[in-house]
Amino acid sequence: MTSITETRPPSATTPTARRNRKNLRPSGLPWISPAFVLVVGLIYYCIIETGYLSTLDWDGTSPTPTPVGAQNYTEILADPVFWLALWHTVLFFVVTFTVQTLIGFVFAAVLHSKIRLTAVYKVLVFTPVVIAPATMAPVFRQMFAADGQLNWTLEHIGLGFLAQPWLAQSSTAMPVIMFITVWEFTGLTFVLYYAAMGQIDPEVLEAARTDGAGNLRILVSIVWPGVRGTTVALAMLGVIGALKTFDVPYLVTIGGPNYSTEFLGTYIYRVSIPQAHVGYGAALSVMLLVLALLGAIAVAARANRKDREPGV
Amino acid sequence: MSPVFEARRRSTRLLLQLVATLMIIPYVFPLVAMVQGSLAGEGLGNYQAVFSVGAVGTFFRNSAIIAVSTIVIVYVLTMLAAFGFSKLRIRAKEVYFWLILAALTLPEVVLLTPLFATTLALGVYDTYWAVVLPLAALQIPFAVLLTRKFIDGVPDSLFDAARVDGAGVFTAFRYIVLPMTRPIGAAIVVLTLIGAWNSYLLPLVLIQDPAKQTITLLPQFFVSQFSNDQTKVLASAVITAIPEIAAYLCLQGLFERGLAAGALK
Repeated sequence: MTSITETRPPSATTPTARRNRKNLRPSGLPWISPAFVLVVGLIYYCIIETGYLSTLDWDGTSPTPTPVGAQNYTEILADPVFWLALWHTVLFFVVTFTVQTLIGFVFAAVLHSKIRLTAVYKVLVFTPVVIAPATMAPVFRQMFAADGQLNWTLEHIGLGFLAQPWLAQSSTAMPVIMFITVWEFTGLTFVLYYAAMGQIDPEVLEAARTDGAGNLRILVSIVWPGVRGTTVALAMLGVIGALKTFDVPYLVTIGGPNYSTEFLGTYIYRVSIPQAHVGYGAALSVMLLVLALLGAIAVAARANRKDREPGV
Repeated sequence: MSPVFEARRRSTRLLLQLVATLMIIPYVFPLVAMVQGSLAGEGLGNYQAVFSVGAVGTFFRNSAIIAVSTIVIVYVLTMLAAFGFSKLRIRAKEVYFWLILAALTLPEVVLLTPLFATTLALGVYDTYWAVVLPLAALQIPFAVLLTRKFIDGVPDSLFDAARVDGAGVFTAFRYIVLPMTRPIGAAIVVLTLIGAWNSYLLPLVLIQDPAKQTITLLPQFFVSQFSNDQTKVLASAVITAIPEIAAYLCLQGLFERGLAAGALK
């Protein structure tokens, strides 16, 4: 191709010349290699290592780990705690995602109505997003304790019959973990919806109003479909977030009582570090990794199958 | 301007104000409980007790060192890579790109055992590096995705013109890419800051020495220090949360935009 260009009269504007100029571009390999080496080197190395460890029966320190083939995986499939943790993850995702989306959406709509103190509400709902879950964990342990502030408040507003040891019962521990997660992430949901709602064409809203559509009708028929891109992005984030859940259940309830708040993350940690069943923990990790990839692909595929409306 | 939600009548506006206030209560309650709990018993004495241990400063400094190192690594590597992916010639470019992107969904708990073994073997266990490098590796994929999209929006002709003028690639990077990517750069700094500052699992497993532990491990440190005296543990939580809230309040728009960009993968 170069020889053809050379025989032609020089003209910088022909397509060939432009393509030729593009080929003269310097190689990008040195530019991407530091990031590539760090990410691919570290993460893929760890994944391969995990894959190898998952075929061993090993306590992490013994010099002679026993290769056991796929035995760890067959054990996982028969492990009730694994299935329980998986069920918790699904339940956790469905509940936290629904509640967060609902609150974030309604809150964003209400704050768009130009009520007073908007900035204050915004800061209050977003503050939890920036505080580390690990920092808040002791606060929630205290707040939901039998003699904690929640029960105290319930008793003082005449709802004393609702007071209970929230974290010590299997039936209430999971809802508490869900509450904490919703508390931490609604700010993000809200900010995204708030921004997305600002992008909706005011003329469409005006036209709908002139046609006599009420606030509720507009929210359901125009605003909700209008922010669909945001909802999909949040769903994706929620699926991966649910699979990654670790800090809150580990620090607030240690996966208990009686495995009632056990997630894959807490289970992997418990098995690999305190119990030192490194091989089994690695096999659980591989399962988690596969689930995370499948989850992301499932949400992305679902989002693509519907209309190809661009996100925000 | 027609807002998505219109309140023409005064009574409607009052109702909405009430709804907003009721909705915000559950979000404020834990923060109030935190402050109230930290002042129970000895009042401000709890804070004095926490500070007198002297660990707060150390934990704080460690978190700062880890966060700043992670930010520098993520920023530099991301800018270089995003420029390379967006504007330079790479054979099988998208293969490299997707290999990096696939790491996006990775739960960090998966890395624990191999990291533990590897850092121990390399002699970096119990150092800042053991936490900084994995944190950076986990942040870079998404940062590269964001920045590449951003640089893709810069017209090629700008770079071609620079080259015609005899500017080298590095000059183009320095004088075109870096200034133009400032908004996305700020978002990446905020995202990485929060990711690094709030990270719990990696420091928990990879750092043993209390002199190198991070702020997220502080509550547990005080649980053992004060044999479970909750008031002091909560005081330490307040002390930890204040700089985060202050940083957010000072850079409110930046935090909201940065985290919003982070959510829209």
